[in-house]
Amino acid sequence: MDAKIKDIIVCAAFFLLLFGGLLLCILKPKPAYLDTERRSLLGFPELSADSVLNGRFSAGFESYAADNFPYRDAFRSVKALTAAKAFRQMDNNGIYASDGYLAAMEYPLNESSLDHAADRFRFVYETYLTADNHVYLSVIPDKNCFLAQKSGRLTMDYADFEKQMAQKADFAAYIPISDLLTLDDYYKTDTHWRQENIEDVAKRLLQAMGAGAQKEYERRTLTRDFYGVYYGQAALPVRPDKLSYLTGEDIEGAMAYDWQNGRRIFVYDLDRAAGKDPYEMFLSGPLSLITVHNPDAPKEMRLVMFRDSFGSSIAPLFIGSYSEITLVDIRYIHPNLLEKWIDFKGCDVLFLYSTLVLNHSETLK
Amino acid sequence: MLFSSITFLYYFLPVMAALYWIFPKRMKNAALLLGSLFFYAWGEPKYTLIMIFSIVQGFLFGLLEERYRQTKSGRIFCFLSVCISLFFLIYFKYADFFIQNVNRATGLSIPFLRISLPVGISFYTFQMISYSVDVYRGHKAQKNIVDLAVYITMFPQLVAGPIVRYGDLSAQLAKRTHSAALACDGIRRFVIGLAKKVLLANQFGELCDICLSSKEKSVLLSWLYAVGFTLQIYYDFSGYSDMAIGLGKLFGFRIPENFRYPYCAVSITEFWRRWHISLGSWFRDYVYIPLGGNRAGKKRQLFNITVVWSLTGLWHGASWNFVCWGLFFAALLIAEKMWLLRLLEKSRAIAHLYVLFSVVIGFVLFRAADLKEAARHIGGLFGAGGIPLALPEAVYYLKSYAAVFLLGALGAGPAVSKLLKVSLQKKACRMIIYALEPAVLVALVLIITGYLVDGSFQPFLYFRF
Repeated sequence: MDAKIKDIIVCAAFFLLLFGGLLLCILKPKPAYLDTERRSLLGFPELSADSVLNGRFSAGFESYAADNFPYRDAFRSVKALTAAKAFRQMDNNGIYASDGYLAAMEYPLNESSLDHAADRFRFVYETYLTADNHVYLSVIPDKNCFLAQKSGRLTMDYADFEKQMAQKADFAAYIPISDLLTLDDYYKTDTHWRQENIEDVAKRLLQAMGAGAQKEYERRTLTRDFYGVYYGQAALPVRPDKLSYLTGEDIEGAMAYDWQNGRRIFVYDLDRAAGKDPYEMFLSGPLSLITVHNPDAPKEMRLVMFRDSFGSSIAPLFIGSYSEITLVDIRYIHPNLLEKWIDFKGCDVLFLYSTLVLNHSETLK
Repeated sequence: MLFSSITFLYYFLPVMAALYWIFPKRMKNAALLLGSLFFYAWGEPKYTLIMIFSIVQGFLFGLLEERYRQTKSGRIFCFLSVCISLFFLIYFKYADFFIQNVNRATGLSIPFLRISLPVGISFYTFQMISYSVDVYRGHKAQKNIVDLAVYITMFPQLVAGPIVRYGDLSAQLAKRTHSAALACDGIRRFVIGLAKKVLLANQFGELCDICLSSKEKSVLLSWLYAVGFTLQIYYDFSGYSDMAIGLGKLFGFRIPENFRYPYCAVSITEFWRRWHISLGSWFRDYVYIPLGGNRAGKKRQLFNITVVWSLTGLWHGASWNFVCWGLFFAALLIAEKMWLLRLLEKSRAIAHLYVLFSVVIGFVLFRAADLKEAARHIGGLFGAGGIPLALPEAVYYLKSYAAVFLLGALGAGPAVSKLLKVSLQKKACRMIIYALEPAVLVALVLIITGYLVDGSFQPFLYFRF
């Protein structure tokens, strides 16, 4: 090839790329919502004399242009693959892939966060609970517990994590469950555990709480592929999950009430299963206060469960043993307000949280 | 507006290039001026007026200097123009530094002005001063204010250099050629610079942020930070210079080189002839030589070096750690002039290690928020405070960034460039390179776009100057 021809080809290719990009940026319709990242895209910034003169418009446009660039997902994948394969970087924005699983590194162990969490639990204990209550604590290890160290990533000492949490919340009887869990019990592309794999966890918790035998369940699987929260964040080509749920007479006969929005809800919300985050099908996602009634369970068996999103999928497996389960998420409701809705008299109280929330407990009110 | 942004790459550059090529020859400078003013106003709408005022005063005083050259009036006009240029720089950049030190020395509580620094003011002020002084020294004054404005505002080098002398550009403002070869050269240079910034400098920047926020202090982490920053600042700044030179070529300008593999130097003297060449030569020609240079005796020369390097440090930032950084290099330069250079000539390997070590220490000092922090970071390199040799986090990030460090080390030397030069001399290799070049450049732009779409805001380090 002649140097002159090469020069012309380089110039043509470069400017075709830039002009093509410009045209796509202007003409290609922009989606309002990004399913992979589970958020709305930034809107066009306010254009006014004031916003131009004080630099708000230009700063806003820069963010808008990057956020709304055409084929965003494809370009993010290019970046993720370049970082992983060309630069051999072990994580991309803290997210890594190993053995077909995606996870976000959780490191280091934040002792002051554990202190804060224990402090908030102790507040609940000292404010509302008496000797009539049986109080329990259990910590759900996140996926990194089974994936990080073997793949050479940074990992916390999970045994020490549980030990510290048990010590800091010593008013509660600690129920260990991490020995029942393996990597297979978690979704490949999401933070959460698989409900169909945690019957043994539910059984141990129920037995420890003296709550009677577990029921038999039927497993159902959604046909739609489940792209978990890490899928969009990682932007790596990974096979999606399938989301399954366990159901039975007790679960189907249970009635749930969402106090936050003042409405009846289903234990399994199949509309949400077809929505942006299918995991929200378990008790309709992030809600501050829910009560689930099972008229067929012993009336004296009542449970108040302080929980995060992991609790949404294990709570249905308790329905058979409790006539009333109240699920409280103190990330969304201040513990000061609980006496308006909850009668704690004589009930079991379970604090069930994942290491992810406990290690970042600033969200707990 | 940053070069490493979607806005610049896919909005501004194609439109600017199209307008430039559409405008007739006699109006190309006007097109460039309008585009450059828009470029500057995009990030600094209010401060554009200050830059315009600076250009107008420089233009008017330039004409007066030429008319009254070789007279006292000519000298006064030059002095006034330089003072006006310096006034803006000192006011915006050093006012609060001055107030802070007066408060410390006197116990007063004079309130800070809290003025934001206009982007690029250090660069275009020095260019304006260079024009004023060069006209006084005999260059022809620019009669066309548009051409002078293009020289000052030209967007490729406006916000982070190189500091281009008026003499280097004056002929090109009046007449310059455009060709596919020059444009291709420019595109190649621009894309390589963009890759240096986005694919390397930004990664090192992320690593440095991780090291700073880590609670697991260790000697290894300190070295990861120090070497990481040394590579970040090189790829950030040389990448920007590459982009400026590349963009200049797209519009027909040949801008002088600003970096020549500085990490290959075997003395600090040589290092500063390879690093930010335009700044070093500016201080040499407009401060060091007018002070007497090395022609007024040894003592005076050492004084001149100390003054120049104090000012060089201060130019980089309004803080004592920058002054100390400048003085650190002044001390090394003086030592080399007096005896160290003769010693370094005995072993090239040791000399190279000495340069790299000094530069790493210097950049740790440069990056710190203050002298206390600098002392802490430098101490960490040697285990001060009893910190351990290595902890899990440092080992993890060493593994994670190993390839980036290797690429960074390789790219900081001339090996790749030499290999390409040798290959181009062989017909078969040349054909392959010609065939691959368009694809490689397009692929690089696409990968860089991926990083820009995914990444968060990462300004050029030299933007704060």
